[in-house]
Amino acid sequence: MTPILELRGVRGGYGTIDVLHGVSLTVEPGQVHALLGPNGAGKTTTLSVCSGQIVPSAGQLIISGREVNGVSSDSLARAGVCLIPEGRGIFPNLTVTENLRMFTHSGVSMNEMQETAFAQFPRLKERRKQIAGTMSGGEQQMLAMARSLAANPALLLLDELSMGLAPLIVEELYERVAALASQGVSILVVEQFAQAVLGIADVASIMLHGRITRTGPPQEIAEELTEAYLGGTSGSHA
Amino acid sequence: MSDTSNPSSRLQEFQTEVDSLKVTGGKANPERTWVIIGALLMIAGIVLSIISYASISSSAPLKGQIVFTDDYAALGTLGLVLAVVGAALFIVMSLRRYFRFWLIRLIFEQREQADRIAGR
Repeated sequence: MTPILELRGVRGGYGTIDVLHGVSLTVEPGQVHALLGPNGAGKTTTLSVCSGQIVPSAGQLIISGREVNGVSSDSLARAGVCLIPEGRGIFPNLTVTENLRMFTHSGVSMNEMQETAFAQFPRLKERRKQIAGTMSGGEQQMLAMARSLAANPALLLLDELSMGLAPLIVEELYERVAALASQGVSILVVEQFAQAVLGIADVASIMLHGRITRTGPPQEIAEELTEAYLGGTSGSHA
Repeated sequence: MSDTSNPSSRLQEFQTEVDSLKVTGGKANPERTWVIIGALLMIAGIVLSIISYASISSSAPLKGQIVFTDDYAALGTLGLVLAVVGAALFIVMSLRRYFRFWLIRLIFEQREQADRIAGR
């Protein structure tokens, strides 16, 4: 089966400074791929490349078998590539309903948007008139997820879902992610703290210094992760 | 909104949408080409001017020979114009690149600061 997302030797970064030095990874349809690594490894930049926000300076970004280097991020979002950024990416000074309304430009009606969002996260219904910035971190993350899920993504890119959240909330959110994966949504999830995500991932990769040093089953990766974080001695060296 | 209950139909729909995407092949550093073109124009213009004006001054007319002084002068002027256009292109694109990176840096630092204040 054609991978839904494939990076082949991707190099890229910010201006003349390359952060990624030849990243290659594959996400099969319906698969949860966890991309793990310490701060500054290039995980978020990888997601920016996958969502079309950063154009690779070399290598190929292939989505559903088609090379799409240089495609605009809004076209990818409309097609069904959905990024939930680090720091949630919601409008903190708007209410929950207004935040949902802001996402209706993707072609989803407000009714459908609310229906999906409140069905996925009933807590948001109770908070629908509350200013998003005054909600707890977990609820803000739920809003960010709900807003994206309502657009019916085929490929979901999740950046540091657990950042700043209590372990119980993280667990609840990842249960939702697992449910999505079981519905056939392909997911590339970036995490610094691996324990939360390895339970639901089908494949995991370790990223260090802008390169993927190891890809394998989550159990094996979990064993190597501490070593990789502390010494960077895992897998191949560059 | 499409049907979420059938993953393969969503996948099919996604495939169709990706196939219809307009891909420009974009560039990671769009100003680079213009900076190079600007520099080349500048060099070519200066060389053309020097050669043309030097040719005028060294063209002592011999008996019965036509000297194309006006042509050399026109070429020299064209060279000067090319050099000025090239220099302008080079400066504008260099500044554009510099300010783009500067803006990225500002945004990044502002975000960092907001995270620090929010205690994230």
